[in-house]
Order: sequence, then structure tokens, then C-alpha cells
Amino acid sequence: MTQPTADFPMVATPRREAIVARLLALPISYFGTLALLACAGLLRPNLLQPFLLLLILRQTAPLGVAVLGQSLCVRLLSIDLSYGGVAMAVSYIMTSGYLPLSEPALILICLLFGVAVGATNAFFIARLNASSVIVTLAMALILGGVVTAFSQLRAPGDAPAFLRYVGQVRIGILPIAVLVWCALLVPVAAFLRTSTFGRYVEAIGASPRAALASGIPYVRVVFLAHVLSSLFAVVSAFLILGFVGVGSLSIGADLALNSLAAVILGGVSFGSDRGGALGPSVAGFMLMFCFNLLTSFGLGEPGKQMAQGAIIALAAVAYAVRGGKQEK
Amino acid sequence: MSAARPGLFGRSGLGVVSLGLPVVMFVLLAFGAQDFFSVENVTNVNNQITALAIVSLGQLLVALIGGMDISVGSAISLTSVILVSLGSWVAVPVALALGVAIGLTNGVGVALFGVHPLIMTLASMTFVQGLALLIRSGAGGTVPTVLVDLAQGHVFWLPAALYWCIAAIAFASLLLYGLRFGLRLFAIGSNAQSAALNGVRVAGPRLTCYVLCSLSGVVAGVYLTGRIAAGDPSMGQPFGLDSVTAVALGGVQLSGGVGSVLGATLGTITLGLITNGMNLLGVSPFFRGVLTGLLLLCAISLQRRKAIGI
Repeated sequence: MTQPTADFPMVATPRREAIVARLLALPISYFGTLALLACAGLLRPNLLQPFLLLLILRQTAPLGVAVLGQSLCVRLLSIDLSYGGVAMAVSYIMTSGYLPLSEPALILICLLFGVAVGATNAFFIARLNASSVIVTLAMALILGGVVTAFSQLRAPGDAPAFLRYVGQVRIGILPIAVLVWCALLVPVAAFLRTSTFGRYVEAIGASPRAALASGIPYVRVVFLAHVLSSLFAVVSAFLILGFVGVGSLSIGADLALNSLAAVILGGVSFGSDRGGALGPSVAGFMLMFCFNLLTSFGLGEPGKQMAQGAIIALAAVAYAVRGGKQEK
Repeated sequence: MSAARPGLFGRSGLGVVSLGLPVVMFVLLAFGAQDFFSVENVTNVNNQITALAIVSLGQLLVALIGGMDISVGSAISLTSVILVSLGSWVAVPVALALGVAIGLTNGVGVALFGVHPLIMTLASMTFVQGLALLIRSGAGGTVPTVLVDLAQGHVFWLPAALYWCIAAIAFASLLLYGLRFGLRLFAIGSNAQSAALNGVRVAGPRLTCYVLCSLSGVVAGVYLTGRIAAGDPSMGQPFGLDSVTAVALGGVQLSGGVGSVLGATLGTITLGLITNGMNLLGVSPFFRGVLTGLLLLCAISLQRRKAIGI
């Protein structure tokens, strides 16, 4: 192989440029995470202790799972804002004692419930061509209203022992919740990369009209994506419930918006999937690490919200400036 | 690109659902609720929907260009805390200036950088809500008397809320139907690329829409703060999504290019009648969300679009 020398700088320069270009094309979340880790290293080195990093990873797990579903929808030029309602309903089903069934039966009911919610969303979005923002928003309103009416704002009971075990216990040093997250992330990433379904998702995101004209089963793909998205929301709610230990009507309230922010920060935008499956997951960790860093600085909830808003806006603008315009 | 199919009345989006829903609600309540026609109840409904009507008209402008502004609720909250934190003569101009700043930020992000409206306004919603909580953590404070009078008073035996509504509707109608600006919005919302090729400036009107929408939040915040005579940093939280719901019920297509002032107003009235009807009929207020969600699903099912998407 030709080695670049001082006499032949032309060989080295394009390769270096290509490397720089590839680095610059990486999602904002990678740079953001590195910057935050560096910032913590300088100002709050305690946060970089493995124990605390694993704790933050455990906090990220529910968001990471939700992000898998949201990124699937966003790639297909759709969106799922019903996560809050789904999480609220799952919390009520699992902790209220309204259904006197065994834990496995309750988990199965919640998963079936997720399929039903996803199928309903998908029916309106894919069959009736309704706006995904409105449909999933309406679904969140309906689910939230039903659960609130049933519970009359009374706090539900404790989370089932199995979910507490998954949410709180570690195997070695690794929290089980993180393992659950990875167990979903790796197959989903591999599936989207290698399967025909993944190619369909890419094609529909790039050009729905062209995909439709090419005979790609557009409706079926969007339908399946929304069902999967709701199922991921159910699993995410399980992890939050296990982590918190008790049911709550506010569980997962910010899941939809945070997952959307993570997806964008992770380089997946409406119709584009530059960040792959890993980018949004790293963005989920970045958001959680950022919240913890801000807490360590003594910033209260308002300061954290302001920082969160500023980060999302700057990342979205930076992404757009780099050529990944999001508006479709 | 507009993905909308024209309704009964073309680009206004008015159709069976948007026109029929408030009528059906009205008839049902007229027969079902005894006190529905009482002066007190009608005044209550008017007071309750005024802020939402103002915000929905702002949301209409953004929806017409194919955008969405969910930060408008945070603008209401920020206005509310500003009004009780600063002197009466300074508070309103400061709130208006902040409204312009929020709108400009959204507009620049969406119109110039091409950030998706949902993402840009989500970011500004989070930031502005945090700012409101930073200024004041809980409800309370003293509202300038002049603002309380403007919101709660009566002029010629009619409640002030009615005048706020009429002024907002008149202003939105003037913008959309009396000026070239309105024509540009319909053109941009229908097909931005085609509009640009025909010499219509796209970025300017888009930016203006976001500024006007944020200003509608400020005006609604002034009214609401005066009405409840206290500041509240979480006052505006439901308005971001409620205004989207109201315009959707009014036949406004979120893909842009289709909508009307009448539709947005009817959507707001429908939401107001739902709340009022549930109060009068003694239905648990927790079911309001359920009913609103179901109505929303019914409404959009009957307003078919050509393409799947946001």
C-alpha cells in the first residue's frame, strides 16, 4: 500500500478529509455526550465513577427503550405522542389491584394492551391517513382520562415484585434494566439493518410516494411500526415502575417528549435515519447524564428545564445547519 | 405539499364535522341541561373559552403554513408570572417583548434553519416553562387592577371577555382575508416550493406567523391573569395541545393550506361546550379528556388526507 509521504501529500489529504467528513456526519449526541463527560471530568469528577455511571445508565434504560419505538415512527415520517397515556395505564393495571390476577397475567395483559393501542393508532394513521400528531395525542388524552376517572386521582399501590426485581437488582455490576435495554436494542438494530422490513422503513422515509409506487407495503410497515412503538412504551413503563417501586399517575409523563428529543439529538429525523439505532440511544444517555450533571450543580427543576430546552434547540439547529433539514 | 382534500368550503376546511359538532353539542345541551341558557352560564362559557380562542387563532396562523406551535402555553405561563412580578406599566411591554423573542426564536429555527416545528417549539416550550418557574415557583402575586378590570369588567352590560374574543377574531380575519399576508399564508401552506417559484417570499411570512402565535399566547396570558387575578407559572400548560385540538376540530389541516377563522372559533366553542356540558350534566371532569380525545379521533377520521404522516 502506498504510504503518504511529504512528496505525495495528495494521497493522504483526501483520506484525512474523508475521516473528518465521516466524523462530522456523526450524530450530535456523540459529541454532546463527550462534551458532557469532559465537563463532568473537569467540574464534577465524582459523576464519572463507574457506580454512578451505571446508575445513570439504569435511569436511561426506560427512555432508551421508548426511543427505539419513537425512532421507528420518526423514520417513517410519523410520530407517537401517546407514551404518557400508555405508561399511565400500565402503571394503573399493574399496581391498582383492580385486576386480581397473577403477575405474569398482568404483564401479558399490559403487552396485549400495548398491541391494542398501537393497532388503534396505526388504524387511524395508516388506514384513515389521519395526522399522527393528532391521533396519538388523542390517544394520550383518552388513556389519561380513563385512568384518572378510574383512579379518582388516588395513588395506586406497590409495583409487582418481579418488576421491582428487574428495575432495582443488578447482575454483577450491571443493572438488569440496562441488560433489558441492550437485549432490545441489539436485535432491533440488527433487524433494521439486515431485514427487508428495515429496507422498507428506509425507503418509505426517503420518499413515501416513491415507496408506494414501487409496491412497498406502505400501510403494513407503518401499522407494524406503531404496534411496535406502543409495545416499547409498555416495556419502558415496566422499567420505570420497577425502578420507582410504586405506581403513580404521573409515571412516564415526559416520556413522549424526551424520547422525541433523544431521537432528534441521535441523528434520526423525520424520514432520515443517519443516527441508526445507536445514535438515539446515546442521546438518551446524554439527556439523562445532562440532567444529573445539572442536579450536581445545584440547579433546580426550572434551571434543568431551561438547559434541556436550550440543548434540544441548539442540537436541532446544528443538525439542520449540517444539512439534515428536518422539515418535510 | 398539502396532503389535504378540500372540504365542503374549499380551503376553509369547513365541513360536516367542524360545522356540525358545535351545533350538535348546542342542541344536546339545550335539551339535556336545564341551566344551559341562563345568562350566568353563557357568560361562564364565554369567559372560559376566551383565552383558548385567542391562542387557537394564533395556532391557526401557524397551522396554515404547515407548522405547529406547542410553546404557546409556556408563553401564557411566562406572561402570567411577569405580570405579577413587575410594575404594571413595565410588565405588559416586557411580556410582549418576550413573546416576540419566543416567536422569533421559533420562526428562525423553523423558517431559516429548517428545524421541524414540533422539535423547535418543544425546545422553546421547555425553556420558557423553566424560565416561568424560575421567576415564580407557585401561584400568587398581585395583578395590576387595570388588567383585572380589563378581564373581569363589563362594557355596555356585556362582559369584557366577549370584546376580547371579538377583537381577536376581527384581527385574525383582517390578517387572513383583508391583507395579502393571508393569501401568502394559504399559498405557502398549500405548496411552499410552488409559492416561492411564483415570487412569494416564504421565510418572512413564516417567521411572522410564529411571532404572531407567541404574541397570541401573551395576550391570552394577560387576559387569564386578569381573570383569575393571580399569577401562575403552570397556567398555560394545557393550552399548547388544547389549541391544536381546537384547530383540528375546526377543520384546519395541520399539513397546511386549509383552515379558517370560523373553523378555529367553532373548534374552540366545541371544546368549551364539552367542558360546560360536563359540568352541567354532573359528569366527572376526568372524562373531559376522554371525550375530547374521542371527538378528535372522530373529527380527523372524517377529514381524510391523501398522504400518511405527521
